[in-house]
Formats: sequence, C-alpha cells, structure tokens
Amino acid sequence: MSLKHDIAFTLNGVQRKVTVDVGQSALAMLRDVIGLTGTKYGCGEGECGACTIIVDDQTINSCLMFAVDCDGRRVTTIEGLTGDARADALRDAFVAHGAVQCGFCTPGLMVQASHLLAHHPEVDAATVKRGIEGNLCRCTGYKKIVEAIVSASHAEEGAAR
Amino acid sequence: MNAIEQYIAPTSLAQALECLREGEVTVLAGGTDVMPQSQSGRLKFKPTLMNIQRVPELKGIARDGDAIRIGALVTVTDIMRDTLVQEFFPVLVEAGDHFASDQIRNAATLGGNINNASPAGDMLIPLLVLDAYAELAAKPNGEMRVRRIPLGDFFVGPGKTRRAANELLTGVLIPLPPPNHFARFFKFGTRPALDISAISIGIAGVRTDHLLSQVRVAFGAVAPTPVRAPRTEAALEGKRLDRATIDAAAQAAYDEVRPIDDVRASAWYRRELIRNMTKRMLDHVAQA
Amino acid sequence: MKVAERPAAIAPDTLIGKRIPKMDAPEKASGKTRYIHDINLPGQLHAKILRSARVHARIVRIDTSAAKALPGVHVVLTAADLPEQRPIGVAKDHLPLKRDRVRSERDEIAAVAADSEEIAEQALRLIKVDYEDLPVISNALDAIKPDAPLIHPEPHGADGSQLSLKQGMPIAFSGKKDNIAMRFDYAHGDVAQGEADSDVVIEDTFKLHYVTHCCMGVSGVIADFDASGNLLMYSNTQVPFLHKREFAEYLNMDPARIRIIQPPIGGGFGSKLDIYPFEVICVFLARAARRPVKLVFSREEEFLASPTRQPVLLTLRSGCKKDGTLTFRQVHTLHDNGAYTSWGATTPFVMMQTFSSLYRVPNCDYHTTAVYTNNPYAGSFRGYGNLQATFAVEAHMDKLAEAIGMDPFDFRLKNAQVPGEVTGQGMSFKSCGFQDCLKTAAARSDYQRKRRDNIAARSASGPIKREGSNPAVRRGVGIASMLHVGGGAKIYPSDGCGTILKIDDFAHVTLITGASEIGQGSETVLSQLVCEELGLPISSVTVVNNDTDITPWDVGVHASRTTFIAGNSAIGAAKKARAKILAAAAKKFECAEADLTLRGGHIVRAASGEPLIDLARLMRSLHFSDKAELVMTTFYYEPPSQHQDKGFKGDVSAAYAWATQVVEVEVDTDTGIVKMTRVTGAHDVGRVLNRLGIEGQIEGGVVMGQGYALTENLMIEDGRMRNPNFRDYKLVTAPEIPEIDVSFIESMDGEGPQGAKGVGEAPAICIAAATANAIENATGVRIYELPFTPEKVYRALHGKADKLYWKPWKPD
Repeated sequence: MSLKHDIAFTLNGVQRKVTVDVGQSALAMLRDVIGLTGTKYGCGEGECGACTIIVDDQTINSCLMFAVDCDGRRVTTIEGLTGDARADALRDAFVAHGAVQCGFCTPGLMVQASHLLAHHPEVDAATVKRGIEGNLCRCTGYKKIVEAIVSASHAEEGAAR
Repeated sequence: MNAIEQYIAPTSLAQALECLREGEVTVLAGGTDVMPQSQSGRLKFKPTLMNIQRVPELKGIARDGDAIRIGALVTVTDIMRDTLVQEFFPVLVEAGDHFASDQIRNAATLGGNINNASPAGDMLIPLLVLDAYAELAAKPNGEMRVRRIPLGDFFVGPGKTRRAANELLTGVLIPLPPPNHFARFFKFGTRPALDISAISIGIAGVRTDHLLSQVRVAFGAVAPTPVRAPRTEAALEGKRLDRATIDAAAQAAYDEVRPIDDVRASAWYRRELIRNMTKRMLDHVAQA
Repeated sequence: MKVAERPAAIAPDTLIGKRIPKMDAPEKASGKTRYIHDINLPGQLHAKILRSARVHARIVRIDTSAAKALPGVHVVLTAADLPEQRPIGVAKDHLPLKRDRVRSERDEIAAVAADSEEIAEQALRLIKVDYEDLPVISNALDAIKPDAPLIHPEPHGADGSQLSLKQGMPIAFSGKKDNIAMRFDYAHGDVAQGEADSDVVIEDTFKLHYVTHCCMGVSGVIADFDASGNLLMYSNTQVPFLHKREFAEYLNMDPARIRIIQPPIGGGFGSKLDIYPFEVICVFLARAARRPVKLVFSREEEFLASPTRQPVLLTLRSGCKKDGTLTFRQVHTLHDNGAYTSWGATTPFVMMQTFSSLYRVPNCDYHTTAVYTNNPYAGSFRGYGNLQATFAVEAHMDKLAEAIGMDPFDFRLKNAQVPGEVTGQGMSFKSCGFQDCLKTAAARSDYQRKRRDNIAARSASGPIKREGSNPAVRRGVGIASMLHVGGGAKIYPSDGCGTILKIDDFAHVTLITGASEIGQGSETVLSQLVCEELGLPISSVTVVNNDTDITPWDVGVHASRTTFIAGNSAIGAAKKARAKILAAAAKKFECAEADLTLRGGHIVRAASGEPLIDLARLMRSLHFSDKAELVMTTFYYEPPSQHQDKGFKGDVSAAYAWATQVVEVEVDTDTGIVKMTRVTGAHDVGRVLNRLGIEGQIEGGVVMGQGYALTENLMIEDGRMRNPNFRDYKLVTAPEIPEIDVSFIESMDGEGPQGAKGVGEAPAICIAAATANAIENATGVRIYELPFTPEKVYRALHGKADKLYWKPWKPD
C-alpha cells in the first residue's frame, strides 16, 4: 500500500481537495485520479512536452512533477484554457492555420504557446521556435504551429489596440 | 512500489534540517531529476520524502558581501531573468538558454542541478569557471552549522557529491568578477537546447591589454564530473591571446582530457571537439 | 434562414484548392478528443507484458505462481496456458506468447491483467524465468554464413506440424536449413547488355539504418467480450477490415462476431498495418479474465516493441552513356528481417519500383534477400523502402553525371519520363508531372547556380571571406526526386473502398466511409469532395469512419491511397445522390435535369444561378410525400489497376506521383554538424484538394525526412536497443526545421478524384538522398551511410571513415 496524502489546490479556477499517492506524478493525478484526460502521457521523462501544464504562471512537464507538490498552487490544464479570449484566439489560430493533424501533441503545445504569449506579447517565428523547443510533434513539421502562434500574437495585439 | 513511509513539506530551513538529522530522507525540489530517476529505478526512495519547495531561506538571488548568493531553490528560468545575474554573470544566462526546454527550466532548481552532479551539467560548467562555492547547512547537534566548499571540490563522481546525509545544499556563492573579466560557455549540440551534450566548455579570466590572467577552463562530459583543465589554463595564464597561444591551448586541451566512448559520442570525437571548440571560443574572445 | 428569404442568384464556387481547416481540429485543440489512452471501460483491467531479458535463448521454465498470488491480479498467461495459440504476422512465424524460445529483446513471455497498472507491473517483477542462452546473431551478414545458428529451426503450427505458406508468395520459409526469410528477384531488359552499352559504370554499397515511427500517442488496445462471446476491440489499426479477418483466424472465431472501433489515433505513419503480439495477448487476457482489458505501452516499451523502418544493406551498380542516357541498374540488397517477419520484409515491392522506374531505365535487375537475425523486426513506415532505394538511386544520378561531365540537373531531366510512358516494370504513367517537378524545384531554389558557386568556394584556396561568417562552415545544395504510387497499390485481392451516403431532412450529409482517419485529414478531404458534388458548405457533413459494424469495407490506410480511392468512392456515392436529387427537382420544376445544378445549398438553374428551392426543403418534400423517399446511396470504387504478375510486373497503381526536392545545408567542418537550412519541393499531386491539409502533409513529411537524414538513429548493439527514449533518440525539434518552400504541379490525373493523386508518403522519400548530394556539394565528400550525425560527418571529412563495400550476393 503506498502512502497517501491529501492536498488542496486550485485547478482550472476551482478549489479542489484530492487524495494522492505520495510517489505519483501530477500527470497521473490529473488523468487517473481527477479524470482530466486532455493532458497527455508522451514519454514520462520531460522530453516531449505532451504533458505540459501551467503551475503558478509557469509551464512545467506534469510527468516530472510530484502530485503532492500541487498543494497550495494554482494549476491550469488544457481544459482550463477555454472561455478566455486569448485562449480562444490561440485555438482559432491553431485550427485556421492547420496546426493540428493527429492532435496528440496539441494540448501540450496550446498550453506552452499560451504561456509564451502571456510573457511575450509580440513574438516572431524564431522566438516561438525556441519557446516550443520542449514540445515534440511528429505530424506537422512545426511550421504551421509556429505560424499559428505568431498569428495569434498579432491578433491579440490588434485586439488590444 | 516506492517505499515512502512519510511525506513532509517543511516551511523553514530549521525544520528541514531537523528532519534530515533524524532520518533517512530523499530531498525533493523541482522533481526534474527525482521523478524520472525514481520511475526508472535508478533512485530508490528513502523512507521519508521531504519537499523543500516551501523553505523560504532557499529562495532568492542577492548580494552577499563581495559575492552573489543564489538560493538552492532558484530555477534556471529565475536565474536567466535576474538583473544581478544579467549584470555580473551573463554566462549563466547563456548556459540557461541551452538548458533542456522552457518547461524544465521553469522547474529545475540550481540546487537540484548541483546535487545531481552530472558530468555534463550545463549550469555546472560556468559555475566552475566563476569560482563558485556550494553552501551547505546542517543541524548536527541542534545548532545550525553552515559551511562553504569550492564547487570544484564538491563533485566526487557522477551523481555523487560531498554533501553529507544530514546536510542540505542551501545555495551557491559566486564572487563578484574583477574588472576586465570575461566568461564564455559553449555546449556542443545540433539543437539550441534539449540535448545532453557530447562536450561542453567554460572559459573565464581577466583580459588586460592583451594578456590573460586568472584563467579558468572547465570541460563537461569528458570526465566523471565537470572538471577544470589545469594544463589548458597553464597554456593561457599570463599569455597574450594570439594565434600561437590559442593553438597551444587547444592542443593542451586535446592532450589533457580523457573522455569515454558512450551512446552519445566516441572518445576520439570528443577530443576533436574539445580541441576545435576551445580554439573557436578563444578566437571569439580574442575578437571581442 | 427564413423560408421567405432566397438569394438573388448564386454564383458558381468551388471548395477545390481552398484552405479548409481540419474538421476535428477544434475538438483536438480543446483537449476534448479521447484517444485510446483516454478511454476507460467500466470494470476494466490493466494489462502489462513481460518481455524477454535475453536476446536469444531457450525458455527453460517460467514460474508465475508468485505473480498469480499477488492481490489484484486476475490473470497471468504464458504460452503454456494457450496451446491453441497460432502464429501471426506476414509470414506466420510469430507466436504472440513465446513458447520454447525467445529470439529478440522484445519477445513477449508472459502477460498479466490486474486491477491497476501498478499492480500489473509489480506482478511482472514477480515472474521468474530461467533461460539457456543461445548465440546471438546481430548482423544480417552473420546470418547468411554457412555455419550460422538457425533463428527458426522449425516453423510453428497450431498442432506443432510443419507450416508452409501460400503458393505464389515469394517466401522461403518451410523448414529450410538457413536463415533466409524471404527473397525477391526481378528483372526487365538485359543488364549484361546494358552494362556493355555503358560508357560509365559505377558500383557502391549503401547502408540504411534503423529508425522508428515515434508516434506521439503510444500503442494501446482495449478488448472486451460481451455476454455472448462477441469481441469488441478498440484499436488504432490502420487496416480494420483486414484485422477483423485475421483476428478471427488467430482466435478461432467467426469474423462476424468481431467488431473493431477505431478511436482517434495519436499518429500512424504505417506502424499500425500489421497485427502485433500485444493485441492478440490483450484479447487472450480479456477472454480469460471475462472483463474488459486495456493495454497501453510506456514510451520505452513503444521503442522496444514497435516495428522499425527496414534497415537495408544495398549494393547498386549502374551505368550510362556519355550522352547522358541511363543504361542499366543492378541491385542486390540484404534485408535484416529481425526475429520475426513483418511488413519490412516486403519493402522490395516498393524498392524495385524505384530502381526499375525512377527515371527511364531500359535494363534492371533487382535481388533482395531478407534474413532472420535476433534484431528487432521492421514493419511498414511511411515510404516503405522508397527512402532507402531513392538514397542509392539519387547518389548514382549525381555520380554518373559527374563522371560524364554533365550538369546533374540536366542529366536528370534527360532521363525523366513524360506522360504516356510505360516503364519496364509495366507502370503506365498517364498523368506525369516529373519534368515539371524537376524544373520547378531547381528554378525556385536556384539550384544550378548555387551548386556551381559552392564548388567554386570549395576549390578556392584559403577560407571563404564572407562577412561575419565562420570559415569552417561550407554551404551545399543537393537535388533528388522520387516516384511513388499515387492511386493505391493492388497488392490485395481488392484495392477498393466502400461508401454509404445519406442526406437527411435538413440537407445534412452523413458520409459513412471505410477509410480511416489517421491524422492526415482524410475526413476533411472526403467531406470536401462530397460537398463539391452536392454544392454544400463543408459544415454539412458528418463523417463516420471508425466502426467495422457500420462502415463498408476498405483495404486500409497505406500506399498513400486514401484520398484517391476513398475519394473516388465518396464522389461515386455523392454523384448518385446528386442524380437522384436533380431528377426529383427536374420533375418538380418541370424542366430538364441538365438545366439544373446544386450550389450553395440550393437547387439552381445552371445557366443563371437562380435558386429554385433549397436542398433541405426538397429533401423534406421527397420524404414527406406519397412516395416517401430518402436519399441514401452507396458506391464501391475499385481502382483500374492490375495485380502484378509473378515477375512483379504490372500497372499496380491507378496513378503515380512524383516530387523533386532541393535541400540546402551548412556543414560545420570543425564539428561535422549539418544544418538543413532550406528545402524547396515541387510535388506532382495531380490536383490540390485541401491546400491547408496537403501543405501540412508535405511539411510534416519533409521534417520526418530530415530526421531520417540527420538526427534519428535507433542504436541496436548485439540485439539490444541502446536508446529507447527521446533523450537519446533525436526527433527533430522546432528550432531545427529548415525553411520549407512547396510548389504543386497539378498534372490533373484522369482517374483521380477531381484530378488528385496520393501524397501521404511522398514528402519524406527523397530528403535524405538530396541531403547526401548537398553534403557532397559542400565538402566534396560523399557519405554512403545514414544518418549524417555530426560524428559520422566529421569522420568522413577527416578521412576517418572506411567506405563500406558489400559484394553483391543472392542465394543460389
């Protein structure tokens, strides 16, 4: 029987209380305990970015994070990136620019991109490529993903004026 | 299954050290090494898992006398964004930029990086050439004791350091650089980051007129730990940074490293890279 | 829309060639799509497989008693529990759970179904296996030595009897005293004569390496028997109907009682075309446990257990006349078949097409020997042998051109086929944009001038003085073309696809197609073709494509066939629906059918665009009339291609496609790092249907080709995988991608849907070949082995690499 621990944290804007295994990753907690399957298992080693979530305004690989470390934090997953004008603009850009093929890498990329845009309101392609270097995609060759993110940043900029 | 029997998340350094004094503890910070290593079986959990992420004394970057102190919990991203670091140690910003990925930089702590003691550790090479010290705290008899050890003496082998079981790495001190100081970092790779390097190089020193002094050279991934390169340093110390010196230093580097063959590169190739890239870095310093 | 409103006149419009966003993209971008990993059935158990600890060994004993006793474990299975187990795979030489021998690191020995993944993993650790080591063959060359130990000394059979295979298949496996799994021999013309006619003859050995698919979604399967013993499988197979039939055979079930549902897939690229042990094992567990069982790989397991791309050792001998005419190609290859036979062994089907027909070759001789070893087996992977073949062909095109002093572009153009040609292998090039591909790619990239400049820079004494640049860095440009099937490939009895189409009372279309969506956008393209026929917006279609109980038969997603064949099938059904609608409308409005057409959701007068009635209203009037008619149509499209004869000759595809790619590189001679800076491609796609989708396919294929050329290397030593993880198996990341310039050559294929041809595999195929040529242009050094990692390039540049030569060999 592995040791359990109770944690309380904010998940996608809602206060939650969850009981987790002490050795469990945040990814396993999200998918198997809470049932939010949008965040994906890609490698379990922090090399592919499919499990990217936002914790206290920073993106991290949830496969590397201990679930217990979510205690007292603010966590946002792909499911929480809805209903927000900026997130909607990003999603629309991904769709319109053909940045989605099989879609498996897409949630991690959307989360990473939204974080990138929050910290870099005006991005060029080179900055985006560096910004998503921790997210692997096997289908698209990244070009349209980069175009979508750059386009979303300009859309926001346009909207802000 | 993991053998964790107790989980604690102390909120002060004293509390954390008490826990370390009492029992067998696995220390957890960002988790970027502990999680994958425990999953793969490389790391076996001790009975107590101690999460130090909420210990305030381990955070922050601040001036400490004639040095800058970086707390053990400071992440690679924090280091890159800090104004003191940008002003005094831009080489650390450079090294951070080549570190893994944004997601990992946001979670990976300097303390974790140092304790993991990888022979290829990206942050460790520049710290070595900056003459950094590791700061360790313990409470062996109920009273807190702090000691400092040069980073070069701290690494013993891959994944092995001189940290005692009841000690916590609390931070890193880096002496403020003297005037005319330069420091460079090079990491070999086909990607800007997200790569465990075949070799990496750190070079620092003082350059007055055209003479070099206080030269420090360190190599990564050519030895069981990040290492200084005394013969290469000797080939540069007190010399003019001209063609002959650069070639001699590059050759000294080639001769003094003893790399191994592994899945990432052969020993022969590593030596070629060390020589060619030491030369290239010194060329850049000369042109600056 | 209000009943009274009707637009004045509706102008003609088209969806063809437009940028149409993928229909499932919004769902995927919201994280709502449920892949197989996200599906959980009530009461399900979790399965894990115990894989071999040895590379080649006899299994002396398996003790599962401790595992069975672990709380939470429901079933533990070994081969001993499954005496009726049948061998699976392309050559039926592969038992799912190994009985008396393990032949590779990935071999499955036991399987557990438990309440959770953790318990299942714990149970695996409690299983004790005793092995007796056998000598390991980790090199195909060792496998053909006369005294080599046999990997398969006797074939498996359900009752232990000797197993021989169907007549006509080029397979040599029936208890023979050697390790040869398959052989392929092909010839057209007379190579001896071709060689005699040549002014230049060259011969080189090429070595193509192991890479693997690395789909971002790992493999998984769910099996569930209902109370009557019917089997439901959630599977990411790319060939659901073939799987249904084969599973029925392996499970000794009536195929009618097997249903396969395909959840959205996290990448395919050909990895899901064969049946693999884990799928059959999961079904066995479900049967034994009488509970649904879910099995999902870890990433490490995905590396260890998935089929690879076929590694190839190849010697090519080819020649030309001094006027630039190609005279012959003679090819011998040694295919490392691994421990069991999967689709990799049949890559010669495709490779011989390239050797015989990429450029005009009057004489060609081709021989492959596939041999068993204790290495991982190869499967089908985007391009299916064509990357390997093109690597060799295009190296020789450059070398031959150089030998006769001809510009390599001119040399290629001279030998490039034009429409109407039939190749020595019997492939009939009806639409053919080959020459346009060459000209376009070369012109847009300024290939010829750059190539000459780079040679001049290389020869100039001293370092190049370019402002602010590194003198150690050399620029190079290389060109290569590819030929691939573009209208399916008739390798099965049928290469067809069925469609069922219905239109409801609101003019909403349900398109039920046998063709699977594997992320490539087939759903969207099929909807586009249907809406084009019916004059409807793309939002009018719901596609159903993932349930064998509902969808009509399709052979599967492979050979870049889906747009062509499923597209023609969908158009066929849509045309029938259109005819029915126009007939009813003509009757209603008392005019000729030819006077009417469908546009913008309405029936309109063709000449003026005047809308007469909106389609939804017409549908309702048909439905709620005395005749009570619904519009439901079906169509099965079989492409007009041929099965190859026993000599592999025949017009195996309904269309063929070409591409030319020009790759530009920068080679750092101090490190060997090759940076791919630009790829300029011209693709003969027949016609662009969904411009957004096709660009995405090409860009993705280019980057996959980049990985094959430069960064990806599955390192197998003594049968063990050294880098089963993303840390040391390097996929291309975003900062590494080149500038990608894509042009489309629309050769308007007569048979293709709206003139289109298949393109799924094309863009990956000639990147490595062009890169080799680019590195040669930059440095004067040609490298004959992939991948072009920094160390390999550095060694080649500094004279530390031996040139491999394999004397051409085939068994007697």
